[in-house]
Amino acid sequence: MKKKEQESKFTSVSIPTPLFEKIKKRIEGTGFTSVSSYVVYVLREVLAEDAVDEKEAFSREDEERVKERLRSLGYLD
Amino acid sequence: MARNRLLVIGLDCASPRLLFHEYSGLLPNLERLRAGGWWGEVESCVPPITVPAWMVMFTGKEPGELGMYGFRNRIPGTYNDTRVADSTSLQVPPLWARAAGAGLRSCLIGVPPSYPPYEVNGDMISCFLTPGTDRPYTYPRGLAVELEEQELAYVPDVAFRKENKAEILASLREMTAGHFEIACYLAEEHPWDLFVMVEIGLDRVQHAFWRYQDPAHHLYESGTPFDDALRDYYRLLDQGIGELLEAAGPDTAVAVVSDHGAKGMKGAFCVNQWLAEKGYLALQGEVKPGTRLEDAPVDWPRTKAWGWGGYYARVFLNVEGREPEGVIRPERFEAEVEALAEEIRKIRGPQGEVWDTRAVTPREVYSHTEGDVPDLMVFFDDLSWRAAGTMGHPSMYLEENDTGPDDAVHDWRGVGIIYHPEVDMGKRIDRDFIPIQDLYGIFVELLGIGD
Repeated sequence: MKKKEQESKFTSVSIPTPLFEKIKKRIEGTGFTSVSSYVVYVLREVLAEDAVDEKEAFSREDEERVKERLRSLGYLD
Repeated sequence: MARNRLLVIGLDCASPRLLFHEYSGLLPNLERLRAGGWWGEVESCVPPITVPAWMVMFTGKEPGELGMYGFRNRIPGTYNDTRVADSTSLQVPPLWARAAGAGLRSCLIGVPPSYPPYEVNGDMISCFLTPGTDRPYTYPRGLAVELEEQELAYVPDVAFRKENKAEILASLREMTAGHFEIACYLAEEHPWDLFVMVEIGLDRVQHAFWRYQDPAHHLYESGTPFDDALRDYYRLLDQGIGELLEAAGPDTAVAVVSDHGAKGMKGAFCVNQWLAEKGYLALQGEVKPGTRLEDAPVDWPRTKAWGWGGYYARVFLNVEGREPEGVIRPERFEAEVEALAEEIRKIRGPQGEVWDTRAVTPREVYSHTEGDVPDLMVFFDDLSWRAAGTMGHPSMYLEENDTGPDDAVHDWRGVGIIYHPEVDMGKRIDRDFIPIQDLYGIFVELLGIGD
C-alpha cells in the first residue's frame, strides 16, 4: 500500500487571452484558485460525460445485477 | 469546541472482541488513537444492517424516520416486487449537507447507500452498490477521470462465492489496499473539512472467514491456510489507517466506527417454511428445495402472512385493502400481529433449545415510520440465526446460509474510537457505549458546526 511517488506531470495548452480573462472573472469566489484548475475541472467533466438516464438510479439490468450480488452477500433471501 | 477537520473511518461490521481484545497489540495505529481518546462500543440501530445503519449514523435519525429497513423496499400494491434502497431513497439531509451549509467541504468514499453519486460540496465516490465503474460513480464526474489519470482503480466490491477462498481473500485485500490508496490521495490532494471513508471489505472478509478464528463456531476449522486471515486483514486495515492519518495531518479529529458488530452464525431458519407449516402461508402444491417465495405457487387468498429473509426476517401480513389479495380485516390487524409475534417468540432451536428471539413491531421501536414498513421484524435467537426466505428444504434449520457461504452474522454492538488532537475525548464522553444515532451529534460537535 506504499503511497505512489506522485510526480505531477503538466503540459501547456493555449487558450485565447479574452477567454482566459473571462474565466478569471468567472472563478472569483468559487473556490477555484486558478484558471488552470478550473480548466482542468471542466475538461475532466466533459470527458466523463456519457449518455446516462439521470432519472433512474438503476437500469432494470443493473438492478437485477445488484440484487443478485446482494443475495450472494446474504442481505436478501 | 473549536472548528476542526474531521476524518471518519468506517469499518463495516468491525467486531469489538477482535479489534479491542483478540488483536490487541497488533494494531498500533488504532491503539494510538484509543490511548489518546474515547473508545468503546457503538450500539447499532434496529435493524443492525449496513443499510440503514450508516445513514442512521450520518443523519441522526432512526431507520423509521429514514424509511429504510434494509437493502430493499417493497413496491406498494405488490407482494414481492422490490426496489433496491439506493442513494435516491435518502430523503433526509446527511451530515455533509449540514457541513456544506456551514461552508465546509466533504470528501466521501463508499458510504452506503451512495449509488448513484449525488451532488455534494466536495467529492464523492459511490459505495459497493455501484453496478460497475463503467457507470458514473463519482461526483463530480470528472473525479473518475482524475483517478484514472493517477492510475487509481476503484473497486466497489468483491464477488462473494463459495469456490476458491484464497482468491476471495486476495481480491479483498487488494480491494481494501486500493481503497486506502485512493483515500490517501484525496486526503492529500483535495481540499476537505469532513472526510468519510467506509471500508466494506471487513464485512466481506468476516462473513467468509469467521469460522477459522472462532472455536465456538459449528463449522470451526483450524490448520488451514486461513487460520490468520482475519487477524492479517485487521492488520492491513490498521496499516491503511496509519497512512490515512498521516495524509490527513495531525490537526485532524478522528472517529473510527462501525455500523454493527459481528458474531458466528449458528445457521439459517426458514421463516416461510415455518409460516407454511403453521398455516399462515398457503401453497398450491409442493415446492422444490430452495424455492424462493416469488417462484412459489402461493395461494394468496388463503395466506395470512409471508416473510423475507436476510440477517433478520421481515414479516408482512396480508391485509384487506392494502395487499392485492388481502384477507386480514384491518380491525383484526393488531390482534393478528400480536398472535403471530407470540408464536414466533416460542420457536425453538433444532435440538429444542430455547431461543432468545425478538419479534417487534415498528411501532414499538420507532417514534415515526416512513416508506415500506414491515409488520414484524424478527431477530432469531438474538441474531445468531439468520432468516432464509426460501422453502422446500428437508429441515427448517439450515446449517449454512442457503444463498451461499456465510460464517458470520451481525451483532448489535460495533466499535467506536473518538480522538481529538486537543481535547481528551475519553474524559469528555462519559459513557461505556454510544448509540449509533448519537454519533451524528458528536460529529457535528467535532466539526464545530453546532448551533
